[in-house]
Amino acid sequence: MAHIIKILKGFSFIPRNELTLLEALEQEKVDIEYQCREGFCGSCQVSLIDGEVTYTTDPIAFIPEGKILTCCCQPKSDLTIEIPGGCKLKKSCL
Amino acid sequence: MTYTTFNQEHFNATKEPMFFGRNVNVSRYDVQKYAVFEKLIEKQLSFFWRPEEVDLSTDRRDFAALPDHERHIFLSNLKYQTLLDSVQGRSPNVALLPIVSLPELETWIETWAFSETIHSRSYTHIIRNIVTEPARIFDDIVTNEAITKRAKDITRYYDALIECVSLYHQLGEGKHTINGEEVNISITDLKRKLYLTIVSVNVLEAIRFYVSFACSFAFAERSTMEGNAKIIKLIARDEALHLTGTQHILQLMADGKDDPEMAIIARELKDEARQIFIDAAEQEKDWADYLFRDGSMIGLNRDILGQYVEYITNQRMSAVGFEPAFTIKQNPLPWMNSWLNSDNVQVAPQEVEVSSYLVGQIDSEVQSEDFSNFSL
Repeated sequence: MAHIIKILKGFSFIPRNELTLLEALEQEKVDIEYQCREGFCGSCQVSLIDGEVTYTTDPIAFIPEGKILTCCCQPKSDLTIEIPGGCKLKKSCL
Repeated sequence: MTYTTFNQEHFNATKEPMFFGRNVNVSRYDVQKYAVFEKLIEKQLSFFWRPEEVDLSTDRRDFAALPDHERHIFLSNLKYQTLLDSVQGRSPNVALLPIVSLPELETWIETWAFSETIHSRSYTHIIRNIVTEPARIFDDIVTNEAITKRAKDITRYYDALIECVSLYHQLGEGKHTINGEEVNISITDLKRKLYLTIVSVNVLEAIRFYVSFACSFAFAERSTMEGNAKIIKLIARDEALHLTGTQHILQLMADGKDDPEMAIIARELKDEARQIFIDAAEQEKDWADYLFRDGSMIGLNRDILGQYVEYITNQRMSAVGFEPAFTIKQNPLPWMNSWLNSDNVQVAPQEVEVSSYLVGQIDSEVQSEDFSNFSL
């Protein structure tokens, strides 16, 4: 089922089902930090304001309360998230 | 209180705190207090690599073609990385093994330090490949003032902890007179030293290393010194894991469920710990001055590197629950992410090493019903 992802001080969108949250945000051209993309470095954390996620792999990184690791989770319900440093769009790379 | 290599007491290790409990006896992982350390070990082992796997033959040519001020940047950066890994290859073992009390954490510390020795070997591999006289570079690490000045700050927390722990093992708690000087040894003081050491290690691996990675990748962004960047990518992957390790330790300490006294110490030392981050950021900026003293390179200069220092320091501070110290919000080096991500290297298929590859993952349970739709 499709879920709506709302980025605080940003916009809302509906991601494709098979994507991780990080991939979904990247597809929307949202500027977000990442490094390992497999749950051990903790770079891609965002705050989860509302909603629920399921982890596709168990994260090893330390995740403080109220945060989620976008590289290895998918939305389980409609989500409201906040990106550290605010919601910025990537400048076109072309 | 004297350290023993095999503690003969019978006790439940999962009831011990991470540090300053009873010495570990059996290295057993069937029951674990913190499973995350075993996950870190497994991940680290799956990352295993050897510097010789990376071909550096083009780097020699690239290096020869670099202008003088860029050679200075490249070599100074490499010297600094060599210093950092020389420290990290031994210090976690020397400082932490005598006081650790959980088998899984003990093994993680050893696995962690071992991987740093691979990094040290890879610097020799790089230096041997690009210059004819490696000794000149290595010798400079202990005589160059810009480097030794920083070495002092990197090692002083480790050294203070090691000194006090050895006195504690020899003499125990209490007031002692050593060479006419009075020293007061208490577990609380040792724990304070331990907390600050872990903070400074986190700073070393999460900030100082990343600043040096930025310099290495800045060369590769211009398609030069790419073999070196390949090695640094592998090192960066390891360091990302190590900093997760120290973040976990710091959070477990601050949380207080592991050792209530540690939580009090973490609260008391909050300002001092925060200052370690800020001081390190300032030192890294001073280092940028030294790196670019003879001129900048395309894509990286003193100011941009300084902004990156502030940016990464903010990130690392908030990761361990500290208020960020700088105002910068956006990554001044957006290309860093793709360099730091180790899985997107374009390599020939036969040399791909998938980091998540594990040996022995074959399903060996075969039942007769697996053949149910099979007929002759």
